[in-house]
Amino acid sequence: MTTLAQPTTEVNATTPRPENISRSMSAWRRRLLIGIVVAYAALLILAPLTALVSGAFAKGIGASLTALRDPAVFSAFLLTLYIAFITVAVHALFGTVLAWVLVRYRFRGHWLLNGVIDLPFAVSPVVVGYMLLLLFGRTGVLAPVLEALNIKIAFAVPGMILATLFVTLPFMAREVMPVLEAFGVEQEQAAATLGASGWQTFWMVTFPALRWGFIYGVILTFARALGEFGAVLVIGGGVQGRTETVTLFIYRALDERQYVGAYSAALVLGLLSLALVIGTELLRKRENR
Amino acid sequence: MTNTSLVTAQNTPRRAPWGRWGIQSAAWTYITLMLLIPLAVIFQDGLRDGLGALWQSVTSPIAWSALRLTIWTSALMAVVNAIMGTLTAFVLVRYSFPGKGLLNAIVDLPLAIPTLVTGVMLVVLYGPQSFIGAWLKEQMNWKIIFAPPGIVLALLFVNFPFVVRAVQPVLQSLDRESEEAAATLGAGSATIFWRVTLPALWLPIASGALLSFARAIGEFGAIVIVAGNIPLRSQTAAVYVFGEVESANRQGASAMSIVMLSLAFTLVLFVDWLRKRGRKDSEE
Amino acid sequence: MKTGFLKTLIVFIAMSLLTACGGQATATSNGNAPVKLILGAYTTPREAYGELLPIFAAQWKEKKGQEVTFEESYLGSGAQARAINEGFEADVAALSLDGDLKKIADAGLITHDWHIPPYNGMVSTSVVVFAVRKGNPKNIHDWADLAQPGLEILTPDPKTSGGAQWNILALFGAALRGKIEGIPANDEAAATEFLKSVLKNVTSFDKGARESITNFETGVGDVAITYENEALVGQQSGQEYEYVIPTSTILIENPVSVVDTYVDKHGTREVAEAFVQFLFTKEAQEVFAKHGLRSLDKDVAAATKAQYPPVTDLFTIGDQFGGWSEAGPKYFGDSGIYTQAIIDVQGQ
Repeated sequence: MTTLAQPTTEVNATTPRPENISRSMSAWRRRLLIGIVVAYAALLILAPLTALVSGAFAKGIGASLTALRDPAVFSAFLLTLYIAFITVAVHALFGTVLAWVLVRYRFRGHWLLNGVIDLPFAVSPVVVGYMLLLLFGRTGVLAPVLEALNIKIAFAVPGMILATLFVTLPFMAREVMPVLEAFGVEQEQAAATLGASGWQTFWMVTFPALRWGFIYGVILTFARALGEFGAVLVIGGGVQGRTETVTLFIYRALDERQYVGAYSAALVLGLLSLALVIGTELLRKRENR
Repeated sequence: MTNTSLVTAQNTPRRAPWGRWGIQSAAWTYITLMLLIPLAVIFQDGLRDGLGALWQSVTSPIAWSALRLTIWTSALMAVVNAIMGTLTAFVLVRYSFPGKGLLNAIVDLPLAIPTLVTGVMLVVLYGPQSFIGAWLKEQMNWKIIFAPPGIVLALLFVNFPFVVRAVQPVLQSLDRESEEAAATLGAGSATIFWRVTLPALWLPIASGALLSFARAIGEFGAIVIVAGNIPLRSQTAAVYVFGEVESANRQGASAMSIVMLSLAFTLVLFVDWLRKRGRKDSEE
Repeated sequence: MKTGFLKTLIVFIAMSLLTACGGQATATSNGNAPVKLILGAYTTPREAYGELLPIFAAQWKEKKGQEVTFEESYLGSGAQARAINEGFEADVAALSLDGDLKKIADAGLITHDWHIPPYNGMVSTSVVVFAVRKGNPKNIHDWADLAQPGLEILTPDPKTSGGAQWNILALFGAALRGKIEGIPANDEAAATEFLKSVLKNVTSFDKGARESITNFETGVGDVAITYENEALVGQQSGQEYEYVIPTSTILIENPVSVVDTYVDKHGTREVAEAFVQFLFTKEAQEVFAKHGLRSLDKDVAAATKAQYPPVTDLFTIGDQFGGWSEAGPKYFGDSGIYTQAIIDVQGQ
């Protein structure tokens, strides 16, 4: 007993009353930490956002809505959504396949495949656009093939879709993989012993359990696709009405001194992405209850 | 009815052999088409005249300075992000206070804003014509926008979520036993944090910080607006590549792209390895 | 279940959008099918072409009974040339400087000589000026003032912007001609030193002339070296700044050309060539003059003299530098004077 009591009295010699002091000290420390974090978040994130909102509404909400009614804005949003939907469709399928292969199978090169799918996180969008130009530009590697088949990829929407596919590649797989791993194979094995085919097993047993990973993957892919700028600028060329996404429209609007239009479009895009991300989290929380 | 005889223990949970092969090749085809071929093309283009020519291009004064600027601003951002990200995660997990939900949502915000817009907002807010920017310039001769501090600021904004979201789940599921034991032994809360909590978190902190570092190296949309793009002073590697692409200088563009890609790939592999270790540790 | 529905929805929307985008008019100028003309221009004449395109479309409709629709792209002149070379299928290229059209010709896409009458292939002109804050608080009156320490200058990046290249050559030309205080004439070394002292003051190299001036308008910098027409367009859109024409400056000549490969591919040669010819007409020249560009048409120039004061010492790239084929590599090539100067400046 004495050996235990001694360290205590040595380290914290004034134990009885400092209960209160240490509690209020830790409360003070608590407030300080929260204060620092909140101040950081406010200065770094909130302040610029407020600038965006005030820029969008600088001439009143009416002016903002009028700017958004510009046909160029409408076609830009259509194009952005079009590209985003196709991107999501492709990755929903192949990203899940990829996740399946990485989690359920062992093979040589597993570590390479696993590492490579994270690469698009870190590749500069300019480099993405440039790579696609090297492949599909007029003097690119695949140019003769494209010429023969009369397909336009560079400076056209297909090129922008490819660019967006590249940058959003990791999201689906990375969201599905941990869920798949946690799910384990026992239920799948059970289904197989009951005679279910591979396909049936996947759809009826595995997929429902993956639901949230899948949905998160779709939402994140979609949100990322909405905001892509650098890669589509390099490969698309920003032709008004043809290869102009919302981000490229914002870029052009700034050039044309249409500041209200630029900020309003940016605000809408941001709110859309934010609604998607936060909405999914709320849905999930509600389902977990 | 049920063909149990066809389903043997060896075949579960995998499909029949041809199915497995089909799925694996689908995955590899997907990756090859989407990732490996574009990467191969750029490596082939940059290495066309040999490694020597590539090295010369990258070490030319403008390119080398762009690379250095990119690396130190990204590293500085990663360090600050690691600290503030961990603090933010700690505050979100351990404390409750009014506005906590808002803070949590704010963490996700940078993912929703296109990087171009981030750059524009920062110039509006902190540029030399703004209240803050003008004041800083007059009082302390500090330039934020169109100078390296603006680059770090933009990078901090864009990469804010990564350390927070890496640390949060680990902190949440952390076993409080060790902390409580330390408390009963008389350790103050600061000591507990430094000696008990933080060491348990070093893996997610490191992986989140390194991931944000890797992303920062390639950042373009925000930087091109905010940085000033002055060669040898405020031009980052990504903006340098953009300039080279736009002036049809393939050698310069490919060489720098290869360096950036190699760096990114190494970092990403390292982060993956860290994450794997993290998973192993938590399984023990 | 929920996600199955989600996926079906996705596929459905994708398909419907695909079909929607599939139905587009084919671009030929045969018969009365609508024809699409793609214009690749530099950043500055955006507003001018905004007005010119509908006028031409109306005229063409009247003359030929055919609908013309336009697709426009505005990038830095060098960047636009690059885009066209990489596969942007512009039918008409309207760039800032002849050297950039030459890049397209070198790539084999323009196969004719675009230096056609009446103006040798040029469609508009301007001069290099300094845009300054209202009241000219820093007292910028000529080139020498740009070198004062502590001044913040905006000029675009010569890598991508034609305007930037004009700016540099205007500075150099004025120096070589002995029109800058303290710089002896024909002294290339002294001129280079002066260039460096000005480059030291540059705050931001934007991608194009337009980006540069809009940056200036947000309050950045004390002076922007820019096209006269950029400054004028800015003023027309309500910006309150002034501009100063230096005593010696370069005549910016903007060329236009049909891009042979693409017009033949699209079958739009007739419309494209008619459009280029239209740009030389008095009517089009008046529109250019309205948007800040100095007209090549003598009558229009005389009529708009008030807006476009004469320059004390105006020189052309042909007179002073032997044209873009010489000046381009000499100043902006890999070992060019400017390229080296920028390295030297930052090294200090």
